[in-house]
Order: sequence, then C-alpha cells, then structure tokens
Amino acid sequence: MEEPTLRYEKIDFLGEGQFATVYKAKDAKTDKIVAVKKIKIGSRLEAQDGINRTALREIKLLQELQHINLIGLLDVFGQKSNVSLVFDFMDTDLEIIIKDNTIVLTPANVKAYMIMTLKGLEYLHQNWILHRDLKPNNLLINREGILKIGDFGLAKAFGSPTRINTHQVVTRWYRAPELLFGARQYGTGVDMWAVGCILAELLLRVPFLPGESDLDQLSRIFQVFGTPTEENWPGMKTLTDYVQFKLFPAQELRHIFSAASEDLIFLLESLLALYPPNRCDCTQALQMAYFSSKPAPSVGPKLPMPSNISKLEVEKPSLKRKLLDNIDGGSLAKRLQF
Amino acid sequence: MDDQACPRCKTTKYRNPSLKLMVNVCGHVLCENCVDLLFLKGSGSCPDCNIVLRRGNFRVQLFEDPMVEKEVDIRKRVLRDYNKKEEDFNSLREYNDYLEEIETIVYNLTNNIDIVETNKRIEQYKKENKELIMKNKAKLGRKAIELEELLEKEKEYEELRRQELSRLEQEAKRKKIREKEALIDELMFAEGNAKDILNTFAQTVANKKEEEEVVPMVTQFSTGVQFTRGSTNQPIPIIEEGPMYKYEPLAIPDRCGPDPPMIKEIIQNGFLKHVRAENETEKAGGYTSTLPCLRALQDALSGLYHAS
Repeated sequence: MEEPTLRYEKIDFLGEGQFATVYKAKDAKTDKIVAVKKIKIGSRLEAQDGINRTALREIKLLQELQHINLIGLLDVFGQKSNVSLVFDFMDTDLEIIIKDNTIVLTPANVKAYMIMTLKGLEYLHQNWILHRDLKPNNLLINREGILKIGDFGLAKAFGSPTRINTHQVVTRWYRAPELLFGARQYGTGVDMWAVGCILAELLLRVPFLPGESDLDQLSRIFQVFGTPTEENWPGMKTLTDYVQFKLFPAQELRHIFSAASEDLIFLLESLLALYPPNRCDCTQALQMAYFSSKPAPSVGPKLPMPSNISKLEVEKPSLKRKLLDNIDGGSLAKRLQF
Repeated sequence: MDDQACPRCKTTKYRNPSLKLMVNVCGHVLCENCVDLLFLKGSGSCPDCNIVLRRGNFRVQLFEDPMVEKEVDIRKRVLRDYNKKEEDFNSLREYNDYLEEIETIVYNLTNNIDIVETNKRIEQYKKENKELIMKNKAKLGRKAIELEELLEKEKEYEELRRQELSRLEQEAKRKKIREKEALIDELMFAEGNAKDILNTFAQTVANKKEEEEVVPMVTQFSTGVQFTRGSTNQPIPIIEEGPMYKYEPLAIPDRCGPDPPMIKEIIQNGFLKHVRAENETEKAGGYTSTLPCLRALQDALSGLYHAS
C-alpha cells in the first residue's frame, strides 16, 4: 500500500476546530484539491475511549452517503495514532456570504441556496439520518456555486422506537423549540426548524433569533410566533424541561420580512411552525409554490462569491490624481462634483 | 471580514444590528454608545488621536470608509472659500490647475500632510482673492433664489394641468350622459326598428373613440429631463434567468427486494397496530410511531432478492 502521507501534499492551513485541524491539500494521485481534516488526539482520558466520537460519526455515515448536495468523504487514513479524513475542497460557506456586506443576495440567489440545502437534506432524511447541526457555517459552497451540507459530527440515525437522543444538539440560534424544552424523542422537525432560521437569516442578513441563553432563545421564539398553548401544542407541558412563559402575542411574519413574497412567507411559516408535527418535511417544502414560481433560481456559476475567492482584485486608484499633461486632450474641466 | 465594528467596544454590526457608527472631524469612528459614554460632559478627546472634539459635531457615518467622511467634511470647508467659476479664468488650463490645487489641498488635509503649510496657503489665497470670494458668494445666493423661482413656477404649472385634467374628465362624463339620454329619446319617439337605432348609435360611439387618440402628456422639468406619463418606451431590463425549478422526487435506491409500503398505506392498512404508539410527550417532541414502522419495514424488505 502506498504511503497516504505522500499521496496528499499539504498546501495551506485552513482552520482549527475543537476536535480537528483542517488543511488544504493536493491529491497527488488525481491532482484534485482536497480538504484534509486531521482529528486531534485528545487527552489520555479521551484516548482511552478510542477514536473521537464526532470523527466516528462522520466516517460511519458519510461513507454510505452520496449526493451532490452533501460533502463527499473521499478517503480516510490513519498514521501513527492519528486519523485523517479527506473531503471535497470547498471554497467558502454560507455564513461568510451572509456576513459579507459587499455581496448582494437576490431573491433568485436565496432560492437557489434553499433548493440545494433542501435537496441534500431530503436525501439525508430519506436515509434515516438527522443532521442535527444545520447552520450557515455548515453549508459549504464551492467555486462552481454548488452548496454541500457539511460537518456530520452530530448526525445520527433516527426512527428507532426505543433509543433516547440528547436534546443538547444544534447551535442555539437554530435550535427548535422542542429541543429547548428537552424533548428526547424527535424527528426531522429539528432540521426543518434550522432550515427555516437559515432562510430567515438569508433574507435579513443578520441572525433571525440570536438568543443569549437557552431561556432567552425560547422567549425570542415566542415573541415572534406567540407563546404556544395546550391547544396549539398538545403535550407541551409533559416535556422534561418545560417552563411556563409569559404570554406573547404572535406577530405577522410579513411585517418582519416586508420584502418577501406571499409564497415565501408561506414557506417560512411551515418551516417555523411551533408544533413539530405541523412542520413540513423537505419533500413538502420543495413542492411548494415558492420554488416553482418566478424568479427562477440562479444557476451555480451566477451565485455570488466573496471577493477574496474570485481573485480578481482591482487595484485601487490612487486618491491623488496625477496631472494629465496632454493639454489638447483634456477638453473637460476636471471638477469633482459633490 | 470587513464588517463594520466600533474600535472601542469591538461591537460589530453582525452582533448588534442596531449599531450606529458616528464620525467626527478627525475621521475616527465610534459607536453611538461609546459617544454617549465618553462625551458625557459635551466634549472630550478622540480615543484614537487625542484631538479634542465636541459632542455636537458627531454625525452618523454615511460612508463605509471614515476617511471619505473626513474628506467630504474638509472639501465642504475648502470649497466655501475656493468658489471661483470657470468664467473667472482666461483658459481651461488655468482653471484645471486651480481645480488641481483644490484637490491637493483637500488631499493634504485629509491625509495629514504638511497641515501647517497647507493652512497657510489657504489663508494667503483668502487674502489675495477676498473680493472675488465675496462676489462669488453673493452670486451663489442669487443662483439659489433663481432656482427656487423656477421650482415655484413648475408647481404652478402642475396645478394648472391638474385642473385642466379634472375639467376634461367631467366634461366627458356629462357628454356620456347626454348621449345616453339622446339614445333613450330616439328609442321612445322614432319610428324605426329599435335594433337599427342601437346599431347606429354604437357605430358613432366607436367612431368618436377612434378620433380621440390619447396623446401622452409631456412635461419638461427644470433639470431638462423629459417626463412622460403613460407608456414608457424604455426596454424592460432583461434578467438572465436559469431554468425554472421543478420538483423531482429522489431516485429510490435499488433495495433488492419488494417495495415497502408508503406512509399512507402504513396508516390505512393497520400496520400501526403492531408497533408501540407514541405517547403524548413523544408526539409533542415531533416523534410519531409511523417513523420506526416505516423504517423497520424498509429494513426488513430490502435485500430479500439478494443472491450471492
């Protein structure tokens, strides 16, 4: 067997997370640019349990999944006591695009991002897997404008009648209300809620529900959608961490998203339904009028990219203009209008 | 990430969407909260460059680059004195030199290059051209008055036009009523066939309509822009569009076995009787017993046809 460390030639350092460091590398075999995620070996205590849990999840799930809108796991190799995962190389992610205020996101762009996200998620749910950590930061985008769902460190199979899941999943701002109330048995609704929050963030360009604590998160949710009652959320009081909230009246979503079309508001309402069984699933969402109506979604290469990626840096003209000495050519007064 | 951020408290627009950045004459940025905090007494020094600033001079930042803000400020101040017009020069070359001089001064002041020298230059210019500056200032005032008069005239004209329009409308209404009355009279007293009378009337009405071809109103504004009401001949900008989206169901992987029932069939055909029903808490969390039932059926049926 050929030595894997020789196959991947490190090009650049990309970033460091809690569990891993990521490098940009070149696959000498295929000449493709890839991302190598090198899992850190933790303390001796952690090492006793064997390989890191999030890495195990990624390897276990991703090697069986294959979809254009999911990150592809190309290879896994071990070296001494290290494990490294080789992924498709992605240029940017949705968080960078949302935060970049030089980028204008058109309704067609938003639609394209949503379609790609939902298609990937539909495939995932059809294969009985919950992602459980959807957020703009985990929606990776490459140079061709293809969005892929990444980071399967929290993903898990669902649909078992006996298994108990933890409710401490999903970054807080994108966490569904049933998780905040401590539900241990849940379904695809947790991912759909996160998609709804991402769609709202794409429209507002700031996080939709930026809660500062779990309780603050719930009160922010209820301030928008109204405090649920036993009528519109039966069984809510039996959830483990249920707490009584002040009764907030529901707000009209069209007042918050004043520029959104009617069918877009409808999609948002069904993604962000408080009662989980009322939330739509990916297939239902993709069949909604919003996706088939105008404007058509942008095609991949037309999607915006942060300026540092297109590498087309325009040189800034110097503030101080040099006097043009061609007198006959300068027929216009060079006055600056303010 | 070139996100807007306050240099003092490090808050960003992303974290606090209501963040308002203020800028003073020195061109350094502070957020509204920090201004409130630092300039409680009405004056204080800039945390960046220690220049004494007055609170009243803080303005909301309009441009992303605070240097632009500073430059605009300085330009306004300089142009108050450097107000010569093209007519005041003998040749275009001289006028352009003069404009270049202004740009140099503005550039120097913005970028803190020979401030003392530049200020001296301005003072000297002021002394030398005192009369001309005063004259041009007065001229500018007169120009403003003239512009106002022009706007006033435009308003009057608009009012007149509106009255004319409403008059025409009323007349048309009255005419219609008269025509109707004439038709009824004719039907009552004439001897001919009622159908013929109706036809001739309809014909005349149609003829008249053709004559009154709608002429779009054209107004000219003080800026010289022509403005038409009604149909514009401007082409609608073409937005490049990809193909419209149409939902296509996911390809079902080859299960190598009989097709499992759909969710609908599971509910209808009583499959659910054989699995534990979800309790209230589970249902409130978004879990239903159809999920494990469907999954178990899919698992059980796939791979049945497999032969090695």
